[in-house]
Amino acid sequence: MTEVTEYVIEVDKLTKRYGDLLAVNDISFTVNKGEVFALLGPNGAGKTTTVEIMDTIRTPTSGKVTLLGMDVTKNKHDIVHRIGVLPQGFSSFDRITVRETLQYYSRLFSGMKSDVDGLIELVNLKDKAKEQYKNLSGGLRQRLGIAIALVNNPEVVFLDEPTTGLDPRARREVWEVLQGLKKKGKTVILTTHYMEEAELLADTVAIISKGEIIAMGPPGELIKNNTNYLVLTLQSGDESVFGVVHKMGFEPVLSNHKDIKVRVEHTDDVLKILNAIRDAGALYRGLDVRNPNLEEVFLKMTGEALLVDSVGGKGKE
Amino acid sequence: MNLRVVVANLFVKLMSVYREKTAMFFTIAFPIILILVFGTIFMSQDNVEYHLCVQDLDQSNLSAQSLKSMQKDGKFKITMVSPDINAAQYIRDKKVNLVMVIPKGFERSLTQRVMLSDLKASVTITYVYDPSSSSVPTKIQILNAVLAGINQKISGKPPVILSVEKSILTRKYRFIEFFVPGIIAMAVMSLSLFGTVNLNTELRQKGIIRKLSTTPITRTDWILSDILYQFIIALVSTTAMLLVSYAVFDISLNIDAWLLVFILLDVFAFVGIGMILTRFAREAQSAAAAANAISFPMMFLSGSFFPIELMPGFLQTISKILPLYYVNEGLRAAMVFEDNMTALRCSVIIGAFASVVFILGILATKWEEGK
Ligand SMILES: Nc1ncnc2c1ncn2[C@@H]1O[C@H](COP(=O)(O)OP(=O)(O)OP(=O)(O)O)[C@@H](O)[C@H]1O
Ligand SMILES: [Mg+2]
Repeated sequence: MTEVTEYVIEVDKLTKRYGDLLAVNDISFTVNKGEVFALLGPNGAGKTTTVEIMDTIRTPTSGKVTLLGMDVTKNKHDIVHRIGVLPQGFSSFDRITVRETLQYYSRLFSGMKSDVDGLIELVNLKDKAKEQYKNLSGGLRQRLGIAIALVNNPEVVFLDEPTTGLDPRARREVWEVLQGLKKKGKTVILTTHYMEEAELLADTVAIISKGEIIAMGPPGELIKNNTNYLVLTLQSGDESVFGVVHKMGFEPVLSNHKDIKVRVEHTDDVLKILNAIRDAGALYRGLDVRNPNLEEVFLKMTGEALLVDSVGGKGKE
Repeated sequence: MNLRVVVANLFVKLMSVYREKTAMFFTIAFPIILILVFGTIFMSQDNVEYHLCVQDLDQSNLSAQSLKSMQKDGKFKITMVSPDINAAQYIRDKKVNLVMVIPKGFERSLTQRVMLSDLKASVTITYVYDPSSSSVPTKIQILNAVLAGINQKISGKPPVILSVEKSILTRKYRFIEFFVPGIIAMAVMSLSLFGTVNLNTELRQKGIIRKLSTTPITRTDWILSDILYQFIIALVSTTAMLLVSYAVFDISLNIDAWLLVFILLDVFAFVGIGMILTRFAREAQSAAAAANAISFPMMFLSGSFFPIELMPGFLQTISKILPLYYVNEGLRAAMVFEDNMTALRCSVIIGAFASVVFILGILATKWEEGK
């Protein structure tokens, strides 16, 4: 594709108010064809509002969304044939089986021949095809939800928090399905508050907080441009470790009640800290030095933690 | 309208109830239980048949014959008490409330009177009874009337004052035959109203409504499949009610196209109200509460359970503005009185009401959430 300027989605100065509440505040971005675009942000950031305006469920207060060349507020009828949506917290008819559910949704798109078996295989539900929805676990339900979003073979797929509330294994299985979509060349709009998910799956991440996009770009670049430090983690240190590091002028943070995380600028600092701990006779069980992640980018930009597990900033004072 | 879409929706809805066996059973069983309970309670009023204990001390041909003819009248079901037993003791032991005692010499005295015109010959029948029983006075009254009739006959002269009963109906109807159409009207109302409210709030909570708004399904297809679904459920329920009523109470009702017309109008009216309620009640619970607040008074005030003539005047006025009243009246006109004019008048009124609420319901139904 040479037409780089031909965006699949263009969001232009989008604003949404609910009464006095400004849920989405003047945001603009573009999504390329075949791209996985992730909106990463904490609860109430405005992810669902943004996505549901893009996929025609809600209407904007002001601003414009152009999807596949059409204005979403004016061409809903044409747009719905070309997009697939998994709303946040979606569940299906309790007593209807996996296969029947997919048949039902595909019948709504009359004229389209959907490959129900192919979809069942794609989301790995072959041995559950005759199972009623109410008997499926959370991960299986989400995978079915993704399959439902694909019944009309859409060009653009919107997935609002497809892995929230799933255990790590179920989440990984959903990720596999999403990677499959990416291989098929679908344009995917994904919302999440898990930074690993955005880092792993997204070509572009928009970090959203309080209705505004505070950073956007490929995850690797976002990290490189916004952070210039390493993260040292000391596992299961005794209490004196915290004090030693603190006295040296660093800002250690206690996470998970046992790990101490410290932001350092050079590998030299790591050695200095380790030496100081040894000299003080304090103990730790293990250590780990790594590059920062999106979590830390978010933290740096907002001064707030995306999730509990983070480092630096307003840690323990 | 897209038939494929309507059928797909219908399939999902019917499958969902069909697989929810217990819920389906209770939905259909509830009105049937009402019919069985009320029908049994009121059956005895239709067919007043008193249980009467008789002690025949005469043991003659004539006494036996008299009793037989009393039993044939149909008012009494007679149990014979052995002449050796003390009647009062029998009442206490057997927990009955009255024993009629035919004295010794019954046949002799009567023959004397009739054959020999001996005016001094007479017979005294004794009622031994338990005064604490409330049905005793009625029983004695009826027995006295029967005896008066016998006296009259024996006297051989034609009575001076005669009476004839003339019902306004061409046939004698039983209470249960008035009751069943009322229960059909009420059951269809509840099914449609609660069915619509419950289904729509459930789908909204599940996010299915939001999902559907991103598919090509139109409001018309959606509402049409809902109406069809509720109509099918109403037909199943009505059929079950009628079958049970025929089997258990041997009712005789006129079943024709009017029944379908009124069921359909009933469905339209209350699906319409259900759609309006789901739109304005944000929470599932408040929608169900609103549905209760509407349907509960309607059941009692619109004459489903008892004739509105029994209610004070101002309540009767209220009754006549309730849509269910016209379904009740219309169904009774069609099924009991075979009065097509009244059925037509009622169907026009409920039809007009149904159209208005149904259109309001369509307008109230929105795909989008939290606009
Ligand atoms: N329909 C609505 N009416 C009023 N306020 C709303 C509505 N929907 C969302 N909000 C508010 O708008 C803000 C943004 O909500 P939104 O659902 O878009 O956030 P989100 O990023 O998707 O959060 P989450 O991770 O919890 O799903 C929140 O403060 C929310 O309470
Ligand atoms: Mg959300």
